[in-house]
Formats: sequence, C-alpha cells, structure tokens
Amino acid sequence: MSGAILWNGAPVAFRAGESVASALARAGIRALGDLPTGQEAAVFCGIGQCQGCLVSLDGRLVEACLTPCRDGLRVASAGAGNG
Amino acid sequence: MAEPRVLIVGAGLAGLAAAVGLARAGFASLVVDQARAPGGAIHRQPLPGVAAHGLPAQRRRWQNLRAEVTAEGDRIEILCNHRFAGIDADGVALLTGERSRFIRPAAVILATGATERVVPVPGWTLPGVTTVGAIQTQLKTTGEPPAGRVLLAGSGPLLCAAAAELAAAGNPPVAIVEAGRPFRHAADALALPAGYLAEASAHLARLLLARVPIRCGMHLSRIDRHGDTLVARAEGGGRHLDFAVDRIGLHDGIRPNGYGAAGTTVPVALAGDAREALGARAALEDGRRAGAALAARLAGRPVPPDMSPALERERAAQQRLRRIHAHDLGARLVAIGDDTVLCRCENRTAGDLRALGGDPTDRELRLRGRFAMGRCQGRFCGEWVRRLQGDDPADAPLGAVRLPVRPLPLADLIDAGEPDEEN
Amino acid sequence: MARPPDYDVAVLGAGIVGASAAWHLARRGMRVVVIDASGPAAAASGASDGAVSVASKKPGVMARLANRSLAYTRRLAEAGGPLRGVFGDRPSYYLATSPAEEQALGDLVAKIAALGGPARVTADGAKAGPDGVGPSVTRCVALAGEGHMLGYAAVAAYLAQAGVDRLWPVTVEALEADDAGVTVSLTDRNLRVAKVVAALGTSSTALFPGLPVTPRTGQLVVTDRAPPGSLPGPLTAASYLVAKSASPGAPDKPPVVIDPLSTGQFLIGSSREEHGDCARTDFATVRRLAARAAEFWPALRARHVVRIFAGVRAAVSDGLPIVGPLTQSPRVVLATGFEGDGICLSGLMGREVAAMVAGEAVSAGAEADIAALSPARFSRREARAR
Repeated sequence: MSGAILWNGAPVAFRAGESVASALARAGIRALGDLPTGQEAAVFCGIGQCQGCLVSLDGRLVEACLTPCRDGLRVASAGAGNG
Repeated sequence: MAEPRVLIVGAGLAGLAAAVGLARAGFASLVVDQARAPGGAIHRQPLPGVAAHGLPAQRRRWQNLRAEVTAEGDRIEILCNHRFAGIDADGVALLTGERSRFIRPAAVILATGATERVVPVPGWTLPGVTTVGAIQTQLKTTGEPPAGRVLLAGSGPLLCAAAAELAAAGNPPVAIVEAGRPFRHAADALALPAGYLAEASAHLARLLLARVPIRCGMHLSRIDRHGDTLVARAEGGGRHLDFAVDRIGLHDGIRPNGYGAAGTTVPVALAGDAREALGARAALEDGRRAGAALAARLAGRPVPPDMSPALERERAAQQRLRRIHAHDLGARLVAIGDDTVLCRCENRTAGDLRALGGDPTDRELRLRGRFAMGRCQGRFCGEWVRRLQGDDPADAPLGAVRLPVRPLPLADLIDAGEPDEEN
Repeated sequence: MARPPDYDVAVLGAGIVGASAAWHLARRGMRVVVIDASGPAAAASGASDGAVSVASKKPGVMARLANRSLAYTRRLAEAGGPLRGVFGDRPSYYLATSPAEEQALGDLVAKIAALGGPARVTADGAKAGPDGVGPSVTRCVALAGEGHMLGYAAVAAYLAQAGVDRLWPVTVEALEADDAGVTVSLTDRNLRVAKVVAALGTSSTALFPGLPVTPRTGQLVVTDRAPPGSLPGPLTAASYLVAKSASPGAPDKPPVVIDPLSTGQFLIGSSREEHGDCARTDFATVRRLAARAAEFWPALRARHVVRIFAGVRAAVSDGLPIVGPLTQSPRVVLATGFEGDGICLSGLMGREVAAMVAGEAVSAGAEADIAALSPARFSRREARAR
C-alpha cells in the first residue's frame, strides 16, 4: 500500500497507480452515492463508458474507475441530485 | 506540433498496430489512451509490483508489439491519461486530461475497442453488479480477485475465461450461468481454430479443478438485494436456482465502441473491435490493416481491401462461437417486464418504452422516451431499445452520433483555449 | 378531380406550429391529417430551449403577438387544456455585463411595461439575479409571467387530440389547388383535402420556392443534471435581445441563453449561422458559448457537456414570420418562418390559422399585427403552389 485517499472523510488505502474505484472496491465500498435519476452510483463497466461510477472530487464529477488515487485525495459520493 | 500527425485513439493492440503500420509508411502518429498505461482491455497493465497476467503466448504478442513501437522512435508518441472528446466539422479534435487542448490531426483512427453487451434484467443496476470485463480489469491491474462470493452470468466464451482467471487468482466463482448450451455443440467446437481450442481447454481444466459449476441453458431473471447480499435467480429448462453472492458479473458478448467517426472533414478510420467486434486476435491484424490502409489513403496510393484472409478466419471463428453459445434471446427480450430498467443513465424502463406506443421515430425515442440521451449516450441501452421495437440493432445507432464522444467537464472545453492558438 | 375530400384539412409539418393548428382545427370539428417528412418535432421544435419568452421578441408586431400568445398559452395550460403539465410558469432573468447591455435592459423594461402583462418586472439592479450569478454581471432584470414549454412535449400534447390523423414519414411532392379543394401529391398516392395548412419551417421553399425563407442554424450544448432548482429560470444575455434583430455571425461574446430544464440539465444556446446543416457542430463555437455561459453562471464549469447539437430555424428576409392564405391559392394557408419564436407564438398562431381556414375573422385587436405577417407582402414574388 502506498497511501490513503479520503472517502467521505474516511481513509481508504490504495496501491500505487490504482483507480479510486479499485481502492474502494478493495475496502468493500460498492455503493458510491445517489444519481439524480434515483439510481445508485456504482461501478458497472469499469472503463469509463457507462458513466455510472461518478464521484465528487473538488466539487467536480469524475469517473471513479478512471481517476487515479493520490495520497490525501478527497473523494466524496456524488450525493443526491448531483450528476 | 510541427506537422499534422495522425491521431490514434486507444493504445491497445489495434491502436498500436495501426501506429506501427503508419510509421513504416512514413506517417507519424499520436496515440492517446485514457488509461495510465498502454494495453487496452486485453493487455491492461498490472500495477507496479503486480505479476503480469495472461497466457505466455498472449504476453509475447504484446511484448513483440511494444518492441515494434519502440523501434519506430519518435514517429509514435503515446499519451496516456488523456481522453478523446471527439473531432468536429472543422477537423478539430479535443483531448482532455491534466490539460485539455485542441489539435488538428491529419486523420483519425478510432481503436477504442468494444462495449460489453449486457441483457437488462431487474436489479442489474444494483451496486455490486458489474460487467464481467470490470471484474477482469480489477484482476488484471491489482492481481486481486473481488472478495466474497462471485457469480458470472450471461453468455459467451468470456464467462469461462474470466472464471478461470478468478480461480487462478484464488477466488473461483460460485457458478457460471450460461444462457446457451455450448457443450452440445461438439462438432462446431472442434472446428474452431487450434488457438481457441487450446485456450478453452485450459480454462475448462481450471474450472473443473476448482469445481465451478456451469449452469447451461439458464439465464438470470432478476437480482435482489438483501442487506449486503445480492440474490440472483437463474431460470431455464423449467427450473430455477437462487444464488446468494457478493458480486455478480454480467456479460452477453461485445459490440463495437466506434463512436466519434461522424461529421468531420479529415479521414476517420476504425480499427479492431471498434470496427467489428472480433476479439484480440483480430484486433492486432486489423490494426495493421487500418494503419496500412490509412497510410495508402494519405499518400494517394490505392487503398488495400478492408478484409484479409486472417480477418476472415477470425470472423468465421466468432460466428462459430456464436452458434456454440446460441440461445433464444429474442423471446427473453419480448417477455422483459415493464419494470425492467433498459436505460441505466436516465432510469427508463421497458414500460416507459412501450408507453410511447405504436411506432415512435428515433427522435421520439430520444426526446420523449429519453432513451440514448443519458451520459453513456446509448452504449448500453441502444441495442435493446432497437430490438424491443422490432428493429434491427445493426441499424444506425440510436445514440452517440453527436459530440462529445463522452461527457466532459464544461471547464475542460473552456480551458482548451481557441482551437488554433499555440498552446 | 371532383372526388370527395379525404380530410377537411391537411396540415403539412408536425412541428409545434402545425401541431397547434391541427389541434385548433380538430377542436372545431374538422377532420385533420398531419403529414411530416420525418416525424413529430423533427426540426426546430425538437431542438429548442422551450422558452416562452416575450422579452426576447423584437418590439412592435412580434412583441405584441408574443405577448398575446403568452397569455393564450397560459389559458391552454389551465385545467382541461391541452398544455396542462406541458407549459410551466417560471421566472426569467436578463443579464448585462457592459454599458451597452445595461442600455438594452433599460429598453426591455420599457417594452415590458408597454405590453401591460402577463410578463412583469419583479426586480431590476445589480443584485436582482438569482444566487450564483457571476461577478461581472452589472445589471439584471428579473421577470415573472413568462414560461417554459418543451417543443416536443407540446407537439405530442397537441397531436393527442382526437380527430387528428398522423402520416409520417411521408414527403409531399406537390400541391394543386382548384375551385373545390386541394390535391396533395404524396410519393405513392394523392390525398384530396378541402384546405391545406403549410407549417413547413425550413422545408417551406421545397413547395413554395418563392418564399424568402432561409435556414439559420444554431449550435447548442446540453449538460448533465445539477440538483433540480439550482437555477430557478433561464439566464439570457442582454446582447441576445439586440442580436436577435442584428445580422448573424460569431461575435467574440456570443449572445447566450442558459435554460434550466426540468431534468436539472442545462441547455446552453445558441449560435446563429447562415446555413442549414444541422449535422455540423464545431468546438470553437460551442466553446465560446460555454465560456460566456460560465461567466454568467460560474457553477456551470463543474457540469459536464453531455451533448452538442445543432438545430435549424426558418428565418425570413424581413424578420417576420409568414402567416396567412396565399393570394393566388387561398385554400392554402402558410404558417412558417418563426426563426425560433415558434414555441412562444404557436398557441396563438394555431388559433388564428384555424380561424383563417374556417373563413372566420382573426382575434379582435390583433387584426393589424396578423395582417403584417401575410404572405401578400412578398406579392411581387408571390409564393405559388408548385
């Protein structure tokens, strides 16, 4: 392990080079928040096509599956009505 | 940028093979890929310190291609962690990444691979339900299988391949639910090219050893969530089975992900699965073909045919595989319940589609039905909407004929500057 | 030739103007068929922001008619009306970032006051905009009484009326009027009707080559969803009020409109380009729109662009729509050339066109303004049915 991201404020360890989705999956975190249509945000395709794993990073929405982890990176669930 | 180069989107087998083909004909290219390293879906690179995956022959194939790329020197530039947002009517392409920018390529090759087909089933939008490809991606990069009980369902040879990889990584799936009956097609199977047979045998041996049951002639009819557990019901042949698991991987084949080729002024070509979903073996061959063909076109020489004997062989093998895994998908689609979500992005159901009545135009399907209007731009629902309407899914795609190829932050568009600024 | 008519009226064009006309005709008990080359809301009506706006109309005829139509549309949206649940009330905001734009807002306030409702100014000043407006905005005029109506939703609502048959995709090859009716030539057969309403938008010149109608394309951007209600109503650059009557082009700071859709998405429009190619989109144009939009509403920077597309409006050489019977063939009533104002004007125009078809007088008080739209003003090159 080479550090931790902060998922909704809680530390989640990651390995160098891995995506936010990958680190969250290892930690058993599958539900990533709510999408505005009522669906839950979650990894589906894992390669950016389905756009289902949106999370909030510095107030911007990004795909968890395509976003690399950095130590101390603050990532939050997209939240109801955002995305 | 000194001179206009060819933009190649996707640094997998097809994209890099195309780059080599172009370079050998004297054309420089810029290969962009959204991932942190080249490889594409097949040769997705492991994280530092993680052992390489795949069979030795597959690894050699990739190493050989990388060596060919290296030999071309600065004629091939690879730019990872960048995404292609599309190319517009003026021939301006937008790349986004750490810094977004516009470029004017001489031509574009889309080597953007495939999208997994997943037949909609109630509950397929629940967290923990992913494509089989997503499970493979995690496995290939981290070397770790998903924790807990895993179920793989759908149809096609990838199910057994992924299950074997999970078994090798120490967590075999609790079962494979395969809609077809592949073991009843021995004659077709034996007629497959030797490489296919060898791979399939290796996978099946591993599954046998790990005692992974393969439930053929069955499909998932629904997925429910009970606390942290997913309960999948498999039906078929007049019986049903319930599986209580932690992760479910769904997969019903692949289709081309060749979006972004419409409406521009420069030549745009497709390569690999983005052109025709024929798998990894064909991707390498088709990449070489696409590179050579584009080079000929740019040089004003006669363009070689778009098929080769090798590609024809792969196409025949894929057709044989489809026969081996054949099942009555049409009947299942017709019977799909009104409450089944078809469009994951906009949360639109089969009932919403049927409520549009008689024979809606594509525009009505989009504007009133909101199908193919969401963030995935119809990649995951378009085929099912077409088929439920009784239309040929090979017709013009319902979505994604417009820019951008994929959603991008407005800030990235604004911060790219004016297209012809030097930046 | 003297076969009995298949329909009382054939409405050519299933856009919002044609659909409104069909609804009004059917409500009069006429048997109506709506014919379209592709389907409902296939052109401008399906590619618009849906703003039912009086403020954006040129002072004079257009502003008066738009105002009348706004009031009438609000009635159509009442209980039992076809637009119930389709038309929605909402505030609208007009923003200035320069002295010239502030001046344009001053003119807007005067125009709204002269019209006397239903639109009215509720706030005016540097701080009159909704929360989140960018710091470069120096003046904002907030209006109440305008509304929103998605073109395709209105078309679907109008066409749901009993007595309206639909025929698409079918191309009308020619019209031939005689003393008893009109023969509508389709690709594979002829229809015999008593009268025709031609609401063909940019396709008008295919049947009426003399009409000075040209396509004017606009590119638009659709974003992903923000939390619903984050912007209560559309933001319109004051320069838009000026640009609508100026010549087209791509100025550095394009006149932009940010329209919040009911989904939480934003629609950002639009350019004005002198061609009819709605497959043509370019990053440079939409980037300028996006940059200007983000200046007005900085939160947009965090939104994602989901779609870029172009719609084609039908523009008329003198900037006024063409509505009324053809002098040479009075059985054919034209209703075209709204150049993006069709959403707002469709309610009233459907009613007036139905009156014209029925041989009745148009609405009292609007006679002169409607007469100003007559195709007779182009009499020297009178459009004649081919």
